[in-house]
Amino acid sequence: MKPYKKIIVFTFLVFSVNQLFANQIADTVSIVKINVLVGLQFDQVRFHVKPGQKVKLIFSNSDDMSHNLLITKPGSRLEIVNEALQLAEKGPSMDYIPKSASVLWSIPVVNPNQTQTLNFIAPQQPGVYPYVCTLPGHGFIMFGAMYVNADGNMPELKNDLNIPENRRLDNNSALNIQHNEHKVNEEKKIITAKPLHPYTPVSPYLYRVFIEGASPAALAVSLPGNLSYCWDASVCKLSFAWSGGFLDNSELWRGKGDALAKVVGTLFFRDKTEFPLSIGNHDGFQVVDYKGYSLINRYPEFHYTLNGIDVYELIMPNNNGTGLIRKFRIPGGNKIVWFNTNPTDGVSYLSSAGKWKNGKWKLLPKQAKDFSITMSRKEGGLL
Amino acid sequence: MIAKSITRFLIGILFCTGMQSLFAQDKSESYRIETIPMPDGLTSETGAVEFLPDGRLVACFTRGEVMTYEPSTKKWKLFAEGFHDPLGILVISNSELLVIQRPELTRVKDTDDDGIADLYEKVSDDFGISGNYHEFNYGPVKDKDGNLFISLNSSSGAGNIRPIVRGEINPLGRENGSNGQMFSNVPYRGWVMKLSPDGVLKPIASGFRSPNGIGFDLDGNLFATDNQGDWIGTSALHHVQEGKFYGHPGSLVWQKGWNKGNPFLLPLSVLDSMRTRGAVLFPHGIIANSPTQPLCDRTEGKFGPFSGQLLVGEMNNERIVRVMLERVGGELQGACLPFFEGNGLRKGNNRLAFGPDGSLWIGQNSHGWLGDQGIQRLAFTGKQPADILNMNLTEKGFELTFTQPLDESTATNLSNYKFSHYYYKYQSLYGSDQFDKQNVPVTQVEISNDRKKISLTLSSLKPGYVYELSLGTIKTSNGDDLANKIICYTLNKLKAGTF
Repeated sequence: MKPYKKIIVFTFLVFSVNQLFANQIADTVSIVKINVLVGLQFDQVRFHVKPGQKVKLIFSNSDDMSHNLLITKPGSRLEIVNEALQLAEKGPSMDYIPKSASVLWSIPVVNPNQTQTLNFIAPQQPGVYPYVCTLPGHGFIMFGAMYVNADGNMPELKNDLNIPENRRLDNNSALNIQHNEHKVNEEKKIITAKPLHPYTPVSPYLYRVFIEGASPAALAVSLPGNLSYCWDASVCKLSFAWSGGFLDNSELWRGKGDALAKVVGTLFFRDKTEFPLSIGNHDGFQVVDYKGYSLINRYPEFHYTLNGIDVYELIMPNNNGTGLIRKFRIPGGNKIVWFNTNPTDGVSYLSSAGKWKNGKWKLLPKQAKDFSITMSRKEGGLL
Repeated sequence: MIAKSITRFLIGILFCTGMQSLFAQDKSESYRIETIPMPDGLTSETGAVEFLPDGRLVACFTRGEVMTYEPSTKKWKLFAEGFHDPLGILVISNSELLVIQRPELTRVKDTDDDGIADLYEKVSDDFGISGNYHEFNYGPVKDKDGNLFISLNSSSGAGNIRPIVRGEINPLGRENGSNGQMFSNVPYRGWVMKLSPDGVLKPIASGFRSPNGIGFDLDGNLFATDNQGDWIGTSALHHVQEGKFYGHPGSLVWQKGWNKGNPFLLPLSVLDSMRTRGAVLFPHGIIANSPTQPLCDRTEGKFGPFSGQLLVGEMNNERIVRVMLERVGGELQGACLPFFEGNGLRKGNNRLAFGPDGSLWIGQNSHGWLGDQGIQRLAFTGKQPADILNMNLTEKGFELTFTQPLDESTATNLSNYKFSHYYYKYQSLYGSDQFDKQNVPVTQVEISNDRKKISLTLSSLKPGYVYELSLGTIKTSNGDDLANKIICYTLNKLKAGTF
């Protein structure tokens, strides 16, 4: 009855011959692990077992809300989901499992971070057996399919009507990539399946966003000329800049947002100073406080205080598109201002006023009321 | 497992008065739902709906848009963009709003009268953000003295904190061993905050897990909802009072002078003694699984007979919940029932606002949880609903007030009133079963002369329990069925002189 050796031989040597031995294989246990993804989804939306096969289904609730898991007769998912809904106030005490001959097996409510195991023997009758969470409302989108057949056939993922619609395609994050301008080369040009907004964003525009390399209070700004930068409101400074694209927000906007926006393009600047400006005694401790921004011809002009003194910064592309112009205003300043740099930050500097001294621009109080720093990408200086 | 569910089912049957639908009257006769057309290309996960003084709707959405809608022309227009998960709007004027988003409370203003916002000014960001996805912020709402209130979610144990955070990190705000409970590693996660007109943001009440909804009643009492989960046996409406703790431990580390270490390690009895219970519990799976914004009906009858009561959105069901409160023993407590359900209403009922005509506008959201997208409008048709208007505790039971006179023979039939009581355990586990669930016999029923009030005498009343009432086939004197068959009263305190 248990020709293990034979099976092992066939399994390793002649895979297709396995099919002939489906009944013998029934004695091996197929282990299926199902977790939960954010957004009411099983991570496995389908799996295959052979008729009569022993199955060990390990259901781990990796979500932050409770779920159950019912396996139903073929074609019975919606009927069971609706019956579960009709349990109404009786639902909680019944684990939302309706009494129905169409429910073949069930795992009662599993709380977050808990695991339950279900052992069963797959039906002899080949077919597509749905599995579903029947907590109120979940079952319309949170389901999957157990394929029971001898040969392991399943339709192509994109044609599989037994799994949730949003899982039929590999999520193509390219569909959500944003380019500042549409002059990216043709093959890279993105055909946006679904617009990201009810309007076409026109650079400059920005998002408050979670992004790698900055605090959670960051802003990402798209500029004309395929340039972008991240300005971090927690520390009130330009943190980094890149060219060649803007952001891929697809992960961030999917589900609950447990993700970061991805930079699209190539980083050419990263701030490595303690703070780019020093007012007066530049070795002293400086306190910054973010105040907000105004849009001037759609360009954000950031406003913050540095040791209580108002500072404004507006960032534009430089004239030849190789970097940025940072326009500073310190209207109430009456002290010398230093603009600090770091030789490894990827750019070279020019200032509209002041003197370059030991890697810093020194500006007299009068000059500092209104000045511009031009940052140009160094040859071969990509970060 | 099959055996367990069958047993549970049989127990369910014993307590079951029949599998009738919760609603007998066709609600669409008294209230009508309308779906608002949304602009093409908008992912309309709605974070807030409010009205401008000029009668336009203003709404914000997950991808950062703030848009206005002119109901007469059905035209949408972009006002502002770029917000990070905006989930609340307070209207200052036709050209100025306060918007809460992940990093801060922001003033958004059109300063040059071109209809597009050009000033995005920080109002306050004096709270921490760790980058944990669950750190949503809600509000603001304003009291009569000009103070603003916002509420801050706890961080999710299903996520983590980022390498760079804003604010001081206190590792004690998370349970040891990290088994996935919500936590508070940066300041004031899990708190309701008060921003006084001088700009100082102060934490006032702690213990919140996911307070996705904050609002005032007619008397200026502040309320916040919270969602079932770890430490929250079932979702609740809390009467928010300064200095109180509402049950989820992580936030306690930010209490001034806190010196008791990791609050998750305190004995349950200690935490329980510190905690203020929900004024109204929403029994899970019965009334609400994920309640949202409480909104007081200030329409003075334009929205029907429930003026002064609170309406509460529900994410997981196609439902709006109604709450009625009373003061017993000095504290607010009361009852909740499904106010409107189905009939075209969608799920994801995240935000509520009354329009100038007294209709209720409902912003819907999903954002990875159960829900829907878009905006709907619920209007009173003028036909008086046949419903429970109020439920009040008495010394010997409850008094029910109805919107219409009742048919005396069905209304005085004892068997038409089936009470059960149960309680939810305060525990670290995710949610709570119903404990000590028992039928409570009704021993006497009396009807008032105007046939609108029913006094019920119960065999016993116990504080700390939910009293769930299932109504049988009671008719109005016009022969209509009642809109509601179920109502749940949270009995925290007994009336003086009970039994």
